[in-house]
Amino acid sequence: MYNIYYIERASLDTLYNRLKENYKVFSPVVKESDTKKIDYHYQNLAEGQPLVYNTYRTVEPLKTFFTYPYEKVTDYFTPQKNIIDVIDKTIIFGVKSCDISGHKVQDFVFLEGVEADVLYRLRRENIIFISSDCTDFKEVCHCLAWDILPHPTEGFDLNLSPLNDGYLVEVGSQKGEELIQQHQEYFVPAKGVQISARKNKRENFMERLKRHILPQNLVSKDIVQRLVKEGYNLDTWQQFMLSCVECGGCNLICDTCHCFLLADKKDGSKNAKVRMWDSCQYANFAKVAGGANPLKRRTQRLRNRFMKKFDFFVDNLGFPACCGCGRCIEVCPGKIDIREVLKDLAKKPKP
Amino acid sequence: MKNIYRPIEAIVEDIIVETPTIKTFVLRPKEDFSFNTGQFIELTLPGIGEAPFTPSSDPNIKDKIGVTIMNVGRVTSLLHSVSKDTPVGIRGPYGKGYPLEKFEGKDILIVGGGVGLAPLRSLILMLFSQIDRYNKIVLRYGARTSQDMVYKNSIPEWAKKKKVDIVTTVDVGDSIWKGNVGLVTTILKDLPIDLNKVISVVCGPPIMMKFVTLKLLDLAFKPKDIYLSMEKNMSCGLGKCGHCRIGRFYACKDGPVFTYEQLKDIHDIWD
Repeated sequence: MYNIYYIERASLDTLYNRLKENYKVFSPVVKESDTKKIDYHYQNLAEGQPLVYNTYRTVEPLKTFFTYPYEKVTDYFTPQKNIIDVIDKTIIFGVKSCDISGHKVQDFVFLEGVEADVLYRLRRENIIFISSDCTDFKEVCHCLAWDILPHPTEGFDLNLSPLNDGYLVEVGSQKGEELIQQHQEYFVPAKGVQISARKNKRENFMERLKRHILPQNLVSKDIVQRLVKEGYNLDTWQQFMLSCVECGGCNLICDTCHCFLLADKKDGSKNAKVRMWDSCQYANFAKVAGGANPLKRRTQRLRNRFMKKFDFFVDNLGFPACCGCGRCIEVCPGKIDIREVLKDLAKKPKP
Repeated sequence: MKNIYRPIEAIVEDIIVETPTIKTFVLRPKEDFSFNTGQFIELTLPGIGEAPFTPSSDPNIKDKIGVTIMNVGRVTSLLHSVSKDTPVGIRGPYGKGYPLEKFEGKDILIVGGGVGLAPLRSLILMLFSQIDRYNKIVLRYGARTSQDMVYKNSIPEWAKKKKVDIVTTVDVGDSIWKGNVGLVTTILKDLPIDLNKVISVVCGPPIMMKFVTLKLLDLAFKPKDIYLSMEKNMSCGLGKCGHCRIGRFYACKDGPVFTYEQLKDIHDIWD
């Protein structure tokens, strides 16, 4: 069990700026959005500005710090040289519980299996998560449907919970504890009464969130695999596909989607292999030489997205690859809502 | 730490024209490289592209790899235009390959279609190298026309070996062809096999594998004894890029060889 500390608001701002001396620090900034609520985006801000506390998740998924939309992954035929000696020590503020849950899928894909992805592993080792409790939500937020709480309980290095004129800081890892020790002048051990106050605040927020989520009667974690399997031949896929414009946004913005395209690039006189985020909603995703394509139709591709999240990952990882962040709902120009697709499967009689 | 995306260099040492659309490339890797029969590699033309192939050569040969490639797409057509001494990249080997230990003491029925004989050639050569361990090798091979048959010179040599029984066919006959005419399923009758101790290995186009599987099931083969090569759009080779999913599996890391038992409850496996 790690410790819990308390830090004053002003001290956190000072610390936030001091950390920039030794780390690349990303934190949320506010951007007006066309929805009713503001959006938060990660930014590497110049020194001297206060830390913005994001009340809910950012627009960008957490994976964006670990694999990039487009990046070179290797040269050709050069000695086993690291293209990665320059990994910045990085701190990310404002990570939310959904992001951390979703990120377990990225860790599973890139760190586990036959061999680990070295690039990913080095980034993982050099990035510190300073997460924080949600104190508000967006309409699309539905973490609770997947039994994910709106405050992180694991997987963070430090977690901030706002309390009066400061924050409770829970330590979640050795890296987190070390960071506190290096800057101990800013922290005092949390008092029991503060920890009880955090519990109350969390419970109150949870009640608010439940009032938003429970009436939606969303599909739950324990039945979702059965639903997508039994619903394989339902017309749900066809029906929801109709507004899909194949932009791939749902995959690209997803905290758990990890697919990428490995391609070759002429890099001046040298050649390189590049990796790009890919989407199973693109027509050529599964196409092979000669033209065969097991995901030829949009209906098959939309279904593929759900089978991957709710069947494949339940079998391989033990839980569904959806963290309820709702980013795919917000981004979709066709207004395809993952919650509604699952609800449709649930309400239709299965063959 | 190993960068999983970095290819090692190999030199094209020889090019054998098998058919008007199929060539076998003999590659000499510049670093140590070996594979088990049935595993695949990613072969790259640097700066141009990469594609998965299962080597067709004898895995006992450690300094060279043979890869038989049909000209069907962007990368393969460019590969067909390379000449000897061209440097190419290889990554791998990937996947599980054939579980040879399960083949011991058995009659092994090998069914190939078209260029699908390529991975099977590697298997056949491996089996020949330790033939005492197996009871019998029965090869049934079909190609579209006699022109499309690969390893035309090797097949008669293989047929002379003891414990080996080979029958070939073409879908469409012509004036040169004196043998069987008909789909490969038409030569899957009166097989000289003992159904109590037989396993089968099938590789070819999906439609061919589908009908061969149905035929074998009809002949009372058990789903666990039918080995199929599910070669999907395998790109990274390590179960990370996500392109070759089949149900709960990835073809690249869980296959590319699967038993029908593993696949039979998965939708649309032949697409």
